[in-house]
Amino acid sequence: MSAFAFAFPAVLAALVLLPAIWWLLRLTPPKPLVEVFPPLAVLATVLKREETPARSPWWLTLLRMALAAAVILAIADPVFNPRDNTLATNGPLALVMDNSWASATDWPARVTAAEALISDAEARDLPVALVLTAERRQDAVPVDAATARKHLAAAAPRPLPADRIPAIAALRTALDGTTPGTLAFIGDGIAGEDDEDPVAALLSLAPAEFRLIEADGASALAITAAENGADALTLTLTRLAGNSERTVPLTAHDARGRPIATGTAHFAAGETTARGTIAAPFELRNDFTRVTIDGLANAGGTYLLDDGFRRRRVALLSGEVADPGQPLLSPLHYIDRALTPYADIVRPNAADLSAAVTELLEQKPSVLIMADIGRLPDIAQAELRDWIEAGGMLVRFAGPRLAAAPADDPLVPVLLRKGERALGGAFSWSEPQSLAAYPAASPFSGMRAPENILVQRQVLAEPTPDLAERTWANLADGTPLVTTGPLGAGRIVLFHVSAETGWSNLPLSGDFVEMLRRTVQLARSGGAAAGNGGQAKALPPYRLLTANGTLAAATGEARPLAPQDGAPKAATFDNPPGLYGSEEGYVAHNLLPPGHTIRPLAVPEATTVLREALAGGQTLSLKPHLFALAALLLLADCIVVLLMAGAFSARAPARRATAALLAAFVASAILAAPQDSRAADEKPGDAAIFSRLDTTHFAYVTTGEAEVDRISERGLAGLSEFITYRTALEPGAPVGVDIASDELSFYPIIYWPISATAPMPDNAAVARIDAYMRNGGTVLFDTRDQIVSLDGGAASANTRRLQEILADLDIPPLEPVPADHVLTKAFYLLADFPGRYTGSPLWIEAQFDRSEDQSRPARGGDGVSPIMITGNDFAAAWAVDNNGMALLPTVPPDEIQRDHAFRVGVNIVMYMLTGNYKADQVHVPALLERLGQ
Amino acid sequence: MATIGRTVQPTPTHDALSRAQARAALVPDCMVEARRLANTVIAGWHGRRKRGIGENFWQFRPYVDGESLSRIDWRRSARDDHTYVRDREWEAAHTVWVWADLSPSMMYGSTLAPVSKESRALVLMLALAEILARSGERIGCPGVLEPVAARNAAERLAAALLHAHPGEGLPDTGMIRSSSDIVLFGDFLDPVESVMERLAPLARRGLRGHVVEVADPAEEIFPYAGRTEFTDPETGLRLTAGRAEHLRDDYTRAYRARRDTLADSLRHLGWSFIPHRTDRPASEALAALHMYLSGLPAMAARGESR
Repeated sequence: MSAFAFAFPAVLAALVLLPAIWWLLRLTPPKPLVEVFPPLAVLATVLKREETPARSPWWLTLLRMALAAAVILAIADPVFNPRDNTLATNGPLALVMDNSWASATDWPARVTAAEALISDAEARDLPVALVLTAERRQDAVPVDAATARKHLAAAAPRPLPADRIPAIAALRTALDGTTPGTLAFIGDGIAGEDDEDPVAALLSLAPAEFRLIEADGASALAITAAENGADALTLTLTRLAGNSERTVPLTAHDARGRPIATGTAHFAAGETTARGTIAAPFELRNDFTRVTIDGLANAGGTYLLDDGFRRRRVALLSGEVADPGQPLLSPLHYIDRALTPYADIVRPNAADLSAAVTELLEQKPSVLIMADIGRLPDIAQAELRDWIEAGGMLVRFAGPRLAAAPADDPLVPVLLRKGERALGGAFSWSEPQSLAAYPAASPFSGMRAPENILVQRQVLAEPTPDLAERTWANLADGTPLVTTGPLGAGRIVLFHVSAETGWSNLPLSGDFVEMLRRTVQLARSGGAAAGNGGQAKALPPYRLLTANGTLAAATGEARPLAPQDGAPKAATFDNPPGLYGSEEGYVAHNLLPPGHTIRPLAVPEATTVLREALAGGQTLSLKPHLFALAALLLLADCIVVLLMAGAFSARAPARRATAALLAAFVASAILAAPQDSRAADEKPGDAAIFSRLDTTHFAYVTTGEAEVDRISERGLAGLSEFITYRTALEPGAPVGVDIASDELSFYPIIYWPISATAPMPDNAAVARIDAYMRNGGTVLFDTRDQIVSLDGGAASANTRRLQEILADLDIPPLEPVPADHVLTKAFYLLADFPGRYTGSPLWIEAQFDRSEDQSRPARGGDGVSPIMITGNDFAAAWAVDNNGMALLPTVPPDEIQRDHAFRVGVNIVMYMLTGNYKADQVHVPALLERLGQ
Repeated sequence: MATIGRTVQPTPTHDALSRAQARAALVPDCMVEARRLANTVIAGWHGRRKRGIGENFWQFRPYVDGESLSRIDWRRSARDDHTYVRDREWEAAHTVWVWADLSPSMMYGSTLAPVSKESRALVLMLALAEILARSGERIGCPGVLEPVAARNAAERLAAALLHAHPGEGLPDTGMIRSSSDIVLFGDFLDPVESVMERLAPLARRGLRGHVVEVADPAEEIFPYAGRTEFTDPETGLRLTAGRAEHLRDDYTRAYRARRDTLADSLRHLGWSFIPHRTDRPASEALAALHMYLSGLPAMAARGESR
C-alpha cells in the first residue's frame, strides 16, 4: 500500500511543456507605455546609467512556472494514503454499527469509516447488510450500496446504551443462511448490560473476514450519580479505559443553560470510577439543572438534576401608588431587595387590582406577597382564595389600608382589630417595642436573636385560643408580629407591620431578609398545581436528552415514565433519558443508574479478528491545496505585474477617475434609494390624542345628564380662564371623558360630579378609575349635597351613590384637609374650601407620618392625594357663560365666596401639578442663607 | 493608461498644405488671445522712460557746457539763477525682430498644461508684435516679414506666417542691422553649445537679444512612472525606462543644469533669458519680456525668478 499516488498520472505528461512555457515567458516583456517626450536628449544623458529590462526578471518567470506546475499537478490529483479495497468477495458485506451514547462524540468519523466500506462494496458490486445496535427496529436485509448509504445518512447516535443481541439476531435472520464475506463491527467498545458475548455471536455467522473497528475509548466516560452534600455537589463518574491518570473538568448549568459553577473529577491510574465535586453555595446549587463533562458532548457526559430545590417565583402586589422616583417609600422596594438573591420576582403590568391578581396567578408563582392592600375586588378575592386553597402561599404586610379595611377580610390568618396601634407616640405611654425570641415552633427559630429592631406601629390580633400556635414572631410585650394560618392546602402569613420603614425598622434589618427567605422556602416550588394528587402516577416526557447531551422537546417515541420504586433504572427505548413531568414539576431520568460501571467489550483471544483504528485509512487529496496554491501564485503575479507597471504610484488622474467612479456609484445608490420607507402606523383617534397632548386639559366625567355635564363644562372653563389670568399655567379647553372607554392618562385631575339619578358606572369603568388613581391621577368627587344634607343626619342620595361607587375601590384612609396641609398654601392662603355652598370639608388621603415638629408650617406628605371628596359643588361656583358672567348664584349670594371658590380651584390645581413643592418652600430661608455665604 | 504627453499634430510631416491649414486654423485664435494679452500689458506702460527724440516733455536738467545753446529753455531758466535744458522723452522708432521656433518638438502639449508649446510661442510672438505695433515700433520676422511700422503689424505678421513657414532653426539674419532688438521664442532643447554657436554671431554684431524658453510642465517635473518608452518627436529616437519614477530626480537635475547653463551663456552675451511654462499665464512671460524691452531688467528678473 503506497502512501502516495496520483489519480490521473497521464496528466503529468503535461510537465514537459514547462520548458516551452519558460521560453515563452522569458521572451515577452511587459508592454511599456509609449510617451512622446521632446527633451529626450536630456533624458538620454540620465538614462544611460539604468539598465533597461528588456525581459521579465528571473524570479517572476519562476513564479509563473511554479503556477503552471501547480495547476498540472492539481489536475493529476495526488492522493495521500489511497484506500485499498480488500473486501472479501464471497458474500455480502455485513456492517454492524454501534450508535449508542458513547459513539456520539466521534460519530462523523464512524460514518466515514462505514461509508468507505460501503464504497468498497460498491466497487466490488456486493450487497450491504447494515444494522445499527441502538435502534428499536432493526432492518438488516442486504441492499445495494446506494440504499445502504441512504440508510447510513439517516442513522444518528442515540442517547442509549447499545443493545446488540437483538441486532445480531436481526442480522442472522436477514442473511438467511448466506455466509457474509466481510463482517465489519464498528463498536463503541463498551460491554453490554447482559453477559452475552456479541463478538462470539457475530463470529458464529462464519464470515470470511471479521473486522473490529474501534475508537480509543477516551470518550466512553459517564456520570452515573449525583449527591447534594453539605457544601458541594458530589458526582460519581465511570470510564472505560482505565490505564492512565485523567482529570475531568465538570460544569454545572442553570435552567437557561448558562454555566454557573465548575469542578473537577480525578481518575487515578488504573481506576475506572472517580468522584468529582462541584463546590458552590447552597443557593447557587439550587439553580443547578444539569451537570456536564467539559468537551464531551454525549448523553453519558450529561447528568440531569430534579427541580427539588428550584428557586421560588414570588409575585409582588402593592396598593400603593407606584412612584419610581421615590423607591425608598415603596414597600415593595424592601421586599424586592430582600428576595432578589433567592427568588424570581414577578410584578404585574396591569394597574387594576383584579386584573393584576389574574395576571400574577397566571404566571404560577410559589408565593404572592401583598403589601398593604386593604380590600380586594370580590372577583380577585375569590380567585386568590382558590389559588391558596390549591396550595399557594400568601404573605401579607400590614399598612394604613389594611388597618382601615373592614374586619371580615377572609384572607388574614387571625382576627384583626380595626385600626392600628401606635407605640411611643405623643398620646402613648408605651415605648417602641423590640422583638422577643422566636417561638420554637416557628420556622424562624434558630435565627440569630433579634436585636435593635423597634416596632412603632402595628395591627393587633384579637386574642383567640390558637393565637399562640399561629404566631411565628412576637414583640417583647407578647403581641404577635408574624402570624400564619392554613387555608386549604395553602397558607397565609401576615406581618403585622408595614413593609416599609414607616411602622418599624424591621425592613432595614438583616432579619427581614432571613425571615422572608425562610418563609418563601416553605412554599411549594411548583406553585399550586404540581403534585396535587400525592399518589404516584406515570409522568409524560417533558424534555428529552439528545445524543449530544442537550435537552430537546419530547419526541413521539418516548413513553410516560412509570413511577419508580427503589433504585432508578437505566434508560431504555421506551424511557430515553430526559425530564419527565411538566414545566411545573419534573423528574430527571438519567442514562445510567447510580452505581453502574462500564466495562470494555471482551474479544475472544483465539479468533482471527482484524482490528482497525477508526481513523485509519483516511485518504487525503492534495488537489484543493494545489489549486489554492495556484490561485495564490496567480494573485501574487497580478500584484507584481501591476507594481512593475506603476499602478500603485501616486498618479492623480487615476485617483481622480477612481473617486469619480465611486462618487457616481454612491450618487446612483442614493438616487435609487426609496424616498420614505417608514410604515404608516397611524391608528384611529391619534388626532384626538395629539390634540390633548399639546397642553394641560382639565377633565370631567360625563354623567349622561345634560344639565350636570353643562355645568361641569362651564365650571371647568371658568376655572381655566381664572387660572390663565392669575397664574403661569394656561390650561386648554375642558374635556368631558367617558370613563368606560376614553383614555384617562392625559389629565392631571378629573372632576366627577356625583348624581344619584345618573346611571351607575359598571365595574369595568370603576376599575379604570382605580387604575387611573393608582397611576398618579386624582379624582375630585363632588356630591353637591351640602344644602341637602343640612336637613337631617341621614346621608343624601348622592352620598349613597358615592359610597356605592367607592365600595369596590381600594381607597386609602381619608381625613379633612388639616390646617397645615400644603393644599391650604399651594397658591393662595386658604382657611376653608367653599364652592357654590360652604361648610362641607374637603376630604383627602390621610397622612400618618404627622411629625411633632410644630415649627414646620406646611406638610406635603409624599406624592399627591389620589382622591378628593367635597360636597360644596365647586363647578357650579366656577361656571361662567361665554361673556364671563357667573351662571349660578352662590348660596348665600356672596361674590366674595365665589372668589374664594376660584381660589380653592387654583390651589387644588397647583397642588395637583406641583405636589409637595410648596411644602418644601419652608427651607427657602435656610437655602438663601447658605447661598449667601 | 492614458499618456501624459501628446503631439499636437499627429502627423508631423512636412506636407506644406496641411501645415498651412493647421496654421490658418490656429492663427486667428492666437490673434484674439494676443490682443487680449496686449491690452492687459499695455495698460501699465507709460512711455519709454528715457530721454531722447520725441514730442513729450520728459525733464529739466541743468545746462552742461558744450551743449547747444539753442536747447536752453529760457522760460524755465528765467525763474532762478541756473540755466536748464528741456529734455523730451525718447520716441524714436525702433526695429524689433521676433522669431518663433515651430519645429516638431514644439508641437507638444501635456495633460498638465492647457495649450501646446507651439501655440503658446505663437501667442506670445503675436502679442508682442501687437504691443510694439501700438507703440509705433517696427516689427520684423527674419525670413517671413520685412520690418514694417504699421498699426496692423500683428495681423500682417500672422498673414505672413500663413504663407511662409519660419522653418527650423534660425534663418538667415544677414539683413538685420545692429542696434535692433531680437526676441526668440522656442524650447531650446538642443545642446547648449549648438544653440550658443548660432546666437553668438548675432550678439557680436551688436543685436540686443531676448530669449523666451517655452517649456511644458511635463518636461520640467517629469511626472512619469512605471515602464515607459519615450519618443523624440524630432528625431524619432526611442528610449525605454523600466522604472521611470526612479529617473525623476536625475532628470530634473539635468534639465535644470541645462537651463542654468543656457541662461549663464546668454547673460555673458548681454542677452536676457526668460523661462516660461505653458501652465502659467502667458501674460507673465509677456510682462517680463516687456520689462526687458523697456529697459527695466531688474523688475523683470525679479518677477520671473522661479
